[in-house]
Amino acid sequence: MILAGPAILMFLAFVILPVFMAAYYGFFKWKGFGVPTNFVGFQNYITIFTDQNFLDALTHNGMIVVMSLIMQGPAAIAFALLLNQNIKGRSLIRVLIFVPYVISEVIVGTGWSLMLQYQGALNDLLTNLGMGWATADWIANPNTAIWTLMVIISWKYLGFAVILMLAGMQGIPDELYEAAAIDGASYWRIQRWITLPLLGPTVRVWAFLSIIGSLQLFDLVYIIWGQYVSSTAGTSTMATYMVREGRLAGNYGYGNAVAVAIFVISLVIALTYQRFVLRRDTEGALTDGPERKAR
Amino acid sequence: MKAPALVALGASVALALAGCSGGTSGTATTPGGSSSAPSQSAAAPVTMTFWHNSTTGDGKKYWEDTVAAFTKEHPNVTINIQAIQNEDMDGKLQTALNSGQDPTIFMARGGGKLADVVAAGQVMDITDKIAPDVKTALGDGIFSAFTVGGKIYGMPTSVLPGGIYYSKDLFKEAGITALPTTFEELNAAVAKLKAKGISPIALGGKDAWPAAHWYYFMALRDCSKDVMDKAAAEKDFSDPCWLKAGEDLKAFADTDPFNKGYLTTSAQQGAGSSAGQIANHKAAMELMGAWEPGVVKDLTPDKKSLADLGWFPFPAVSGGAGDPTAMMGGSDGFACRQGAPAECVDFLNFMANKANQEGYAKAFQTLPANKDAKGVVTDPALQDVLASYDKAAYVSLWLDTMYGQNVGNALNGGVVNMLAGKGTAAEIVAAVKTAAAKG
Repeated sequence: MILAGPAILMFLAFVILPVFMAAYYGFFKWKGFGVPTNFVGFQNYITIFTDQNFLDALTHNGMIVVMSLIMQGPAAIAFALLLNQNIKGRSLIRVLIFVPYVISEVIVGTGWSLMLQYQGALNDLLTNLGMGWATADWIANPNTAIWTLMVIISWKYLGFAVILMLAGMQGIPDELYEAAAIDGASYWRIQRWITLPLLGPTVRVWAFLSIIGSLQLFDLVYIIWGQYVSSTAGTSTMATYMVREGRLAGNYGYGNAVAVAIFVISLVIALTYQRFVLRRDTEGALTDGPERKAR
Repeated sequence: MKAPALVALGASVALALAGCSGGTSGTATTPGGSSSAPSQSAAAPVTMTFWHNSTTGDGKKYWEDTVAAFTKEHPNVTINIQAIQNEDMDGKLQTALNSGQDPTIFMARGGGKLADVVAAGQVMDITDKIAPDVKTALGDGIFSAFTVGGKIYGMPTSVLPGGIYYSKDLFKEAGITALPTTFEELNAAVAKLKAKGISPIALGGKDAWPAAHWYYFMALRDCSKDVMDKAAAEKDFSDPCWLKAGEDLKAFADTDPFNKGYLTTSAQQGAGSSAGQIANHKAAMELMGAWEPGVVKDLTPDKKSLADLGWFPFPAVSGGAGDPTAMMGGSDGFACRQGAPAECVDFLNFMANKANQEGYAKAFQTLPANKDAKGVVTDPALQDVLASYDKAAYVSLWLDTMYGQNVGNALNGGVVNMLAGKGTAAEIVAAVKTAAAKG
């Protein structure tokens, strides 16, 4: 208990205290200089939830959450199944698939934005291939921008999902596969009835991480679209909204209120997910369920 | 380590604390920093910190030399220079001001942002402390950017009026003989450039402010001086000229004058940026402030000044109520924090004198605030700017600086939306109104 003291102190000072400070500042109109004095109650929160730009950003976040799960989940499982077999160059493919996840967001964002600009490499390539009709303003066009973002996100984070799934598959006992094979089950039957169900906990944890990551998405959007264009292009997120309306506008009180709103939204979603989806995986570990004593 | 030092100081000399604690934290070499109260003899040691934004090259060297020259004249003064990346400046300053570890002398750009610091009582009123000869040499007009509620809070070091920079070679190639003075003529020039396959105007839309500058200049031409002053004082944008400015810009943007993909073009970073396109002759014109020659210079292939860079004022708009000679621009300057020692203002006066301003204009390739120092401006484009500046009926501050970050932020977003076809001119004005609810 004494040994945990420093850790608890750090946690209180750098996690809990800032949350309460943000909640405090969120009740003021405050320009960031000196002590906040202009108390406005819940006015900032009312403004947030009536601002179309924030609602748009919230919608984009929601879309990114759903589309990330749909696009990355099945692909990750497919890749993991492939890489779980004895194929040539398996380690190399594993490394290559994981590389995007390791590269820093700043480099990924800068690289993609250079390639996807109107006069960037992709459009040049398409033109040279005689496919000039397919060129587009991938980043700035409000109709395509969110899909461009989804492709980049999938490319970036697929490797992480694949590694998780692979680890999950390696944890499934070989005896089950051997028994099924002796019983004459086909490859696909084995995957459907043994791998997928036993991969469940891994998939649920991955989905949790993916949802939280999607809700907090900031860096890629901010680097590729810059400070203002993300809202125009339809790729703004709650976090980019917070920076734009808080820091760039110099409205620090309002920005703090936005931070609290994001915190509450993320917390509600995380707790709901824990309660209804992760419950059976975490029972006994995170909760004091009756089964704990039984074990 | 810092906290006990502050407590000790505070216990002994509460008033002097404000005068030296920022400077003495950690780096002080003079013992007994608490003796820096201005009332004491001139020889008492004084330590000050000085924040500016020139982290490399000639600008950084200029400040080192200027500080060295000042401390030679004032042997009792020690100035610790901290060069801070421009984009980090606002955030660091804010943190420093709130924590009491603030710099004695810091960079300021005036307008609404300075007003926020003034409102918090953290910057020194220097109205009566500016040396009379400095005040005469700089002129009254330029101090308006640093004036809040009739009091002056900063010393300007440069004037940065905006206008259209262009490539003389590309204009010649397109057969444009006379510089555009009206939008009809600008449209004709754009058509000629397009016919030659030249991208007419570079625009760094990704950073938003270059796009917003087009709106600001339209407003400068469309709105009378009275309307603009009223907007500055009362944040009142109800005059129809604000809407007309947006519609004029929309009509101009519909002629497709900007480089392809301008919404994802940044302003100053790399050869693909709008300034980079000017530097590499990929586009013919760009609307920018007087820092442009210096920025373009760094982006040319050989890092030398662009030889054929010219300048002309923003063209007149038909039916506009603004004076066609009026200019818009900003001013870089420096301020002292509240309670700084008298030597702080001495340093401000020192940096504004003729010799130092000449050095400043050379080091930064820009226009000095001190009129006596303008002789050293040799860049032909800047000389044209200067000629127009001297003839201007009035000079407005950049609207985003004048109206403050909050309104400026809303203007930036509204203009980008309109250019992308996502919003209308009316929504720019509406965005300014909703911004008021947030700050």
